[in-house]
Amino acid sequence: MKALAKHLTRLNYGLLIIASLYLAACDSPVSDAVRFGLASAPISLDPRFATDAASSRINRLLYQRLVDFDEQFRPIPALAEWRQLTPFSFRFQLRDSVQRLFENGKKLSAVDVKATYDFILDKKNASPHRGSVANIDHIQVVDENTIDFRLKKPDPLFPAHLVIGIVPAMGIDKEQGLNNRSMGSGAFRFVAWPSNDHLIIERRRDKLRIEFIHVQDATVRVLKLLRGEIDILQNDLPRELVHYLERQNAIQVKHRAGSNFSYLGFNMKDPALTDIRVRQAIAHAIDRHSLIRYLLGGKTQVANALLSPEHWAGITHTSGYVFNPSLARRLLFEAGYSDKKPLVLEYKTTNDPFRIRIATIIQQQLGEVGIKVKLLSFDWATFYGDIKAGRFQLYTLSWVGIKSPDIFRYVFHSESLPPQGANRGQYANEEVDQLIDKAESAIDPQRRAAYYRQLQQLLLQDLPFVPLWYEEHFYAANREISGYQMALDGNYDGLKAIMKTSHQQPANQIE
Amino acid sequence: MLKIIVSRLLSTVIVVFGVACLVFLLIHLVPGDPVDMMLGENAQMADRESLREALGLNQSIGAQLLTYFNNLLHGDLGTSLHSRVPVVEMLAERIPATIELALVSLLISCLIAFPLGIVAALNKGKGWDRTAMGVSLLGVSIPNFLLGPVLILVFSIYLGWLPVSGRNGIDSMILPAITLGTALAAVLSRMIRSTLLEVLSEDYIRTARAKGSSHVQVVIHHALPNAMLPIITLLGLQLGVLLGGAVITETVFSWPGIGKLTIDAIMKRDYPVLQACVLLISITYVVVNMITDIVYAWIDPRIRIGGQS
Repeated sequence: MKALAKHLTRLNYGLLIIASLYLAACDSPVSDAVRFGLASAPISLDPRFATDAASSRINRLLYQRLVDFDEQFRPIPALAEWRQLTPFSFRFQLRDSVQRLFENGKKLSAVDVKATYDFILDKKNASPHRGSVANIDHIQVVDENTIDFRLKKPDPLFPAHLVIGIVPAMGIDKEQGLNNRSMGSGAFRFVAWPSNDHLIIERRRDKLRIEFIHVQDATVRVLKLLRGEIDILQNDLPRELVHYLERQNAIQVKHRAGSNFSYLGFNMKDPALTDIRVRQAIAHAIDRHSLIRYLLGGKTQVANALLSPEHWAGITHTSGYVFNPSLARRLLFEAGYSDKKPLVLEYKTTNDPFRIRIATIIQQQLGEVGIKVKLLSFDWATFYGDIKAGRFQLYTLSWVGIKSPDIFRYVFHSESLPPQGANRGQYANEEVDQLIDKAESAIDPQRRAAYYRQLQQLLLQDLPFVPLWYEEHFYAANREISGYQMALDGNYDGLKAIMKTSHQQPANQIE
Repeated sequence: MLKIIVSRLLSTVIVVFGVACLVFLLIHLVPGDPVDMMLGENAQMADRESLREALGLNQSIGAQLLTYFNNLLHGDLGTSLHSRVPVVEMLAERIPATIELALVSLLISCLIAFPLGIVAALNKGKGWDRTAMGVSLLGVSIPNFLLGPVLILVFSIYLGWLPVSGRNGIDSMILPAITLGTALAAVLSRMIRSTLLEVLSEDYIRTARAKGSSHVQVVIHHALPNAMLPIITLLGLQLGVLLGGAVITETVFSWPGIGKLTIDAIMKRDYPVLQACVLLISITYVVVNMITDIVYAWIDPRIRIGGQS
């Protein structure tokens, strides 16, 4: 027995020595690059195909687009300025003041713009962005810097659709595959994508490298930030982890208001929910301020409409539905429900733990006014399939990155029932349809904005959904990071100005 | 022995074919449309239809199954619906990570389990036994999603010795391997203890002792080899599980293995990736089991003889 114990002790000592020697040689996590933690890995670096949020945000850094948006979501010139020639055509003039060099050194021209949009419009290429530019009849290159877009039908908001990154005409062949490399003219250039979870790009101006590191688990992402394995992360953390980071001296946490809109959707064909009093009771039973205070963060704003108040067509002066449980109970009573005959509803959400927490609190708040809510959570694909098919009574979802008010046709017009549109609650209101039509055909921007505001007031009154909030954005970074500004829609454009103390700028800076 | 290997290989082909068919059909029965997952909420009907056509998803299930098998026979596992990267490339990136994590975890579990199990068996009912089995119970009771972050907190944050996550050098493998190996070591040490106790009560052990063999000799030369058969079976099964991907551990440590790829493919309804992953996992299981059987036959002559007769 003693001899055996001696054998084992020797073995353990040996392992301990090997481990100690090895650990002494381990690298420290110090890096010159800015390491950006992501909750979801980018899927494609090809702007003609990328649809996920991470890919789209990174592609904005690698590629330039014709049109961008200001903080009020008004279309503004990016690569090009434009003017409307006729109701059916727009002329875009590429700007000389913008750096327009692709990574291969070739200058971006009107030919590249035409090639990019022709590729997207070609049905056989199956670009997911084809629908957004389907109104283009044909594109004509006027000269090296000028290009005309001819439309199938008049659309004063057309420039807002030209937001796809321009790829070089010579790399347009799909077989050449831009999905895992890049050929852009943006502020950053592609360096390497060594693994699905690790992408490296470099700022052209000063060769500052940005490493996108995918860490799915929120707790581990925070631990990596604390240990210095990542320098900055943005959004996608539960509230308690944000609080925890705020208490760390080595970490800075910044918040700002966002525009991503969350709502509680109703199935308007459901017998119980066709009654406006029931929908109003639900709206009055939800305490959005408490939810925001305890779960979502101080910069989250209560929403009363799909477009945020900052939007050029947003509504600002409306109180919406205030939390009033006694009014909710009275409305339910008037609608024929009581403790003896309670209203029972099914509420569907995704299996994301944070979404389930929100749903559980809403379930409890509705329970307090006498509505029995059965909570059902599914993986995203199943949930989304159910919502599209109209198999729900209540659900919560968010609209992310909405910039153009033509979303109203897609979501609320009676002709937009799935699968043609996203009117999942099968809402039909003739007055709403007319207002959408009027707003879309209005030439004068102020008149158009007025129609959209009127439409949103009407929707708030008719309540096909309960507007919940515009979720805030936040970032957490170590003290070496400075200059990062968050965008209203949560994009990563702040990386264009980010600085890291340990980064040494090269002598030969490239402008 | 050759006959055993040939018969196992034949059954492997049948099992893999059956699994491939079943997985294909099950995946297509699961609710959720891959086109919706790809295009998001803003896409229009025409986009969905054209993409569905481009991906061949508008064909009947039977036609898709035939295309799938035709491609499979030509060594083509398809292309990811989302990233448009060939599935073979995705697997090639993940397989080495999975294999190295599985083997190191297995090694760690053996290094923990054998001393623990042997010490417990040789000191049955005493303090050593109770301590060893207490440790083993603790190991099997702590879930990986808790042990992983605790290890990160201690060894990465407080002590600063090891990276938090990722696959970047050997040091990044230590914590995930310990996390995975701990639970396996707990089960394995209990198995070693119980089989060793059973063997130690056999007549031939008493005979060996009567012949004057030392305690260590009896344990190492007589008891352990005879106790190895069930342990090898367990190790084989566990290796199959580890090679199939350890989803929780891979997620906690951002380890780019097969398990994480499979779960991501399920969530995104990425049919080609999911089919390839499940096929790979089933082949791994079958092959590991086959190797276990062969080792079993090699260790125990009675099985070889039984197989020949």
